[in-house]
Amino acid sequence: MATDPLLELKGVTVEAGGKALVRDVNLSLGRGEMVALIGPNGAGKTTLLRAILGLMRYRGEIRVNGRVGYVPQRVQYDRTLPMTVLEFLALTLQRAPVVFGISQATKRKALGLLENVGAAKLARSSLGGLSGGELQRVMLASALHGTPELLLLDEPAAGVDIEGEATFLEIIHDQVHHKGATVVLVSHDLSVVSDITDRVVCLNVDLKCEGNAKDLLTAERIAEVFGGHKAVYGHHHHH
Amino acid sequence: MPDVILGYFTDGWQATILACVVLACLSSGVLSPIVVSSRMAFFSDAVAHSTLAGVALGMLLGFGSPTTTMIGFAVVVALLIATLRQYTTLSLDSLLGVAMAGSLAVGVLLYHRTKGYSDLHGYLFGAVSLLGTQDLVILAANAVLALVMVGLFANRFLLLAVSRPLAQARGVPVARYEYLLIVVLGLVVAVGVRAVGLLMVNALLIVPAATSRNVTRTVAGMFWGSVLVALASGLIGLFGAGWLGLTEGPSIVVVAVVLFIVSQALRPLFGHQVAEA
Repeated sequence: MATDPLLELKGVTVEAGGKALVRDVNLSLGRGEMVALIGPNGAGKTTLLRAILGLMRYRGEIRVNGRVGYVPQRVQYDRTLPMTVLEFLALTLQRAPVVFGISQATKRKALGLLENVGAAKLARSSLGGLSGGELQRVMLASALHGTPELLLLDEPAAGVDIEGEATFLEIIHDQVHHKGATVVLVSHDLSVVSDITDRVVCLNVDLKCEGNAKDLLTAERIAEVFGGHKAVYGHHHHH
Repeated sequence: MPDVILGYFTDGWQATILACVVLACLSSGVLSPIVVSSRMAFFSDAVAHSTLAGVALGMLLGFGSPTTTMIGFAVVVALLIATLRQYTTLSLDSLLGVAMAGSLAVGVLLYHRTKGYSDLHGYLFGAVSLLGTQDLVILAANAVLALVMVGLFANRFLLLAVSRPLAQARGVPVARYEYLLIVVLGLVVAVGVRAVGLLMVNALLIVPAATSRNVTRTVAGMFWGSVLVALASGLIGLFGAGWLGLTEGPSIVVVAVVLFIVSQALRPLFGHQVAEA
């Protein structure tokens, strides 16, 4: 890259129990890129994101030149916990304890974040009652706080119905990517990400391929990365 | 009845007891939402049981009041559990089961070396009538600690309660916060044991928030409801016990449990969502 890359990985290796989860990954992402990180289950995609976030020990070098937002993979949480979406967002937006009340400034900020993702009407909803798609939007709204320059989305489509997923990806494309942020979209489902991303990175412990979405997504390449795992060709959903 | 209540405001000794109970209930009520949301109920129970060994140890070492060894032992056990949790793959409930069984057994063994010490009953089942100025000071410090914890860290603890990975991703030093919560809970439990008894202290850390979350949809509602339930249980239990000639500690817990049952009946009115299948 000619200009200063937003994210640069040099020889990144993550090991656990003597086994490499991610091996010698070199990658450089510029500003404003929309990148799909694909690979089968257990390929080390989440591990790589966690290493970028500094949540995992790694060897090699990771340089991030900007603010990072992160939407973790299908957040499992206590749905019986009484908490509104507004309160949930306020937990990270204000220092004062949310149990003592939410300030007007926090309220405005939270509503602004929710509006970004078309979810302003969810502010008073109970966090436990959200659908998969609604929850993903709330998580995205929360991750957009501080206007991240790099947004990492781990399997954002998991647990979301097809319609919700399309809307969610549209939001990411319009609200994040169009505003100049770099988006890394992790998926094990190629059909979901290939339409909206301009670059694809295939990972299966090692970096298998990297480049333009249309050129790379050939049957041979897919077979190579996924080891002949046929399910990736079609769009499949679990109920 | 009014005379019994009046006594708590006019008589110095009884006023001390009233203040102690209010402070113990306040600490528990404030922390209860965090304990319940973080699923630490069994943890506080394990620490509560470990205080028996602390008490017996204090008696053996010849301390006038075993409060110091009791608190110290509870904190050590709490830290031990927290450390083991970081470094083993054992599930938390197995770990707590081992800690509880072990410390209780050690406690009983030590206790048998201190034959004839009658105060142990008080530590087990609550000895409100034994509360004195020293307890008042400790309980006040305890309440301040609980309030400071909530004032400074409630947001982080609640985020952790929603989802540990999410909190981690948002930059919360998860392990450090878990240690902090465990140590503070250890302290609050050990001190609470003195006021309401070993077997009752856990109830005051769990029942208030378990009750309030039945009748609210917000985290703020859960918090204030918990404080209210804890204080109401303390006052009604204390006054009621005085009036009916019952033991105070268990009476307080019975009131709390009755409030919980009422809240459970009211639950559907608050449109609570059931967990996703």
